[in-house]
Amino acid sequence: MADENVSFEDNLKELEEIVARLEKGDVPLDNAIEEFKKAMDLVKSCDDKLKNAQDTIAKIVKDNGEIVDFDIE
Amino acid sequence: MDETYITVSEVTDYIGEIIGSDLNLRHIFIKGELSNVRLYPSGHLYFTLKDDGSQIKGVMFGARYKLNFRPKDGMKVLIEGKIEVYKKNGLYQLYANKISRDGLGDLHQRYLELKEKLDKEGLFDESHKKKIPNFPKRIGVITAQNGAAIRDIITTIERRWPLCEVILFPSLVQGDKAAENIVYQIKRSEGFDLDTLIVGRGGGSIEDLWSFNEEIVARAIYDCNTPVISAVGHEIDFTIADFVADLRAATPTAAAEIAVPPYGEIKNGVNQLKLRANLAIDKQFEDNKSRLDNLLSKKIFTNPCEIYAPKEMMLDNLLNRLEHSSKSLIMKNESRLNIVKNSNVFKNPLEIIEHKQSVLDTLVSSLKYSSNALVMKNESRLDLVKNSSVFKNPDLIIKDKRENYLLQLSKLEILNPLNTLKRGYTLAKIEGKVISSSKDLKSGDELEVEFEDGNVNTKVI
Repeated sequence: MADENVSFEDNLKELEEIVARLEKGDVPLDNAIEEFKKAMDLVKSCDDKLKNAQDTIAKIVKDNGEIVDFDIE
Repeated sequence: MDETYITVSEVTDYIGEIIGSDLNLRHIFIKGELSNVRLYPSGHLYFTLKDDGSQIKGVMFGARYKLNFRPKDGMKVLIEGKIEVYKKNGLYQLYANKISRDGLGDLHQRYLELKEKLDKEGLFDESHKKKIPNFPKRIGVITAQNGAAIRDIITTIERRWPLCEVILFPSLVQGDKAAENIVYQIKRSEGFDLDTLIVGRGGGSIEDLWSFNEEIVARAIYDCNTPVISAVGHEIDFTIADFVADLRAATPTAAAEIAVPPYGEIKNGVNQLKLRANLAIDKQFEDNKSRLDNLLSKKIFTNPCEIYAPKEMMLDNLLNRLEHSSKSLIMKNESRLNIVKNSNVFKNPLEIIEHKQSVLDTLVSSLKYSSNALVMKNESRLDLVKNSSVFKNPDLIIKDKRENYLLQLSKLEILNPLNTLKRGYTLAKIEGKVISSSKDLKSGDELEVEFEDGNVNTKVI
């Protein structure tokens, strides 16, 4: 399972590398299946992050250092 | 007095002709301060140009497209244009071709000097530029809390990459305190684990933007550990902040677009990768399957008999030959054995022995007999020899032989021709040959006549 703490970018990068390796076709089948599973985990992780994206959280740091939500309306 | 009245239009036309024919007024350079500035949606700019003692109305057609700054009341400007009469209002007014800001010379000089100084120090070097993260999780923005810039940035990020948090560090962005405030917020932002920092404001006059040309701001941006995108409106080509920032955007919106990836493209990209991974693994399965199929279609799997049948046949053949040759060998030897077995030696060995014994006995007895006979024969022969007179009375034999000899001798004496010759007989010979008949002779033959005591040669007459 893809590590939740790894950044989206790292996941995406690893996914790209795995796909490139799979497409090259020189990974032995057993390893390829493992790689494919890993790729699917990464896809799911990326998809989840993308799906879970809500409205951008905007905050403002006030003069006193307090951080509060910032509403552009 | 014959007074002739002319119309207002006529006098205005007249004045217009006089003014219009004056070369000085047809191409004039005027400086002053703007007031009553109105920019119409048509793009035309209406204003009043004034100084302490006077004022003149002015217009610039298509100003929106001609000006690189937003004209404001109180702004000192230099105008190039002409004076003409606007008949409808009976006004002479300034028709501006070019309007530029007055008093910028000093600022521009300061800008160039600072730019050169910082450039020499290496603050603009590409080697110092930090990479802007592709997938920021938290972006800091230093701009005015109430300006359009922060709204543009937030809406753009929301649209493109809502996964990102935006933290505003509100700052003055124009006026005397702006530069100091911006520097303060840049330093403050460092404690917030930001991936990217956007520093900027919307468009404004060169004075409005001046804080972004201040040295302290440039150095704060340079010293900032967070990658900085400058986002200052595009009144002039570049601010010093643009040069020193890690990346420059022409507007706050552009800065937000640069700061985050496009959600749709990334989503598509992930989907594409998913698709490619599926295709790749399918292809690998397919390839392996076809390799397997290919192997399975080989004779060894489809018709294994074909592989070993010839060997089997060879083996059979060899077995057959082995069987045959061993059988024949056995048979041959058996028959030899049978011959041997069936021979009398085995069937009736005593008979053979008896037979051989009787033959032997016969032989022995015959041998005995013949040897005895031989012995007896030779014994009798020996006895005979022994009993012969030779051995018994040898003297008698010798006497007989002697008597006989003497008798023979006396006979021989009588017959001797020479004795005849003694009694007067001769022998006639021719060439040694005795002539016993006269008929053998003829006249003239030489004849040898032998006498007892010698020979005489004669001739036949």
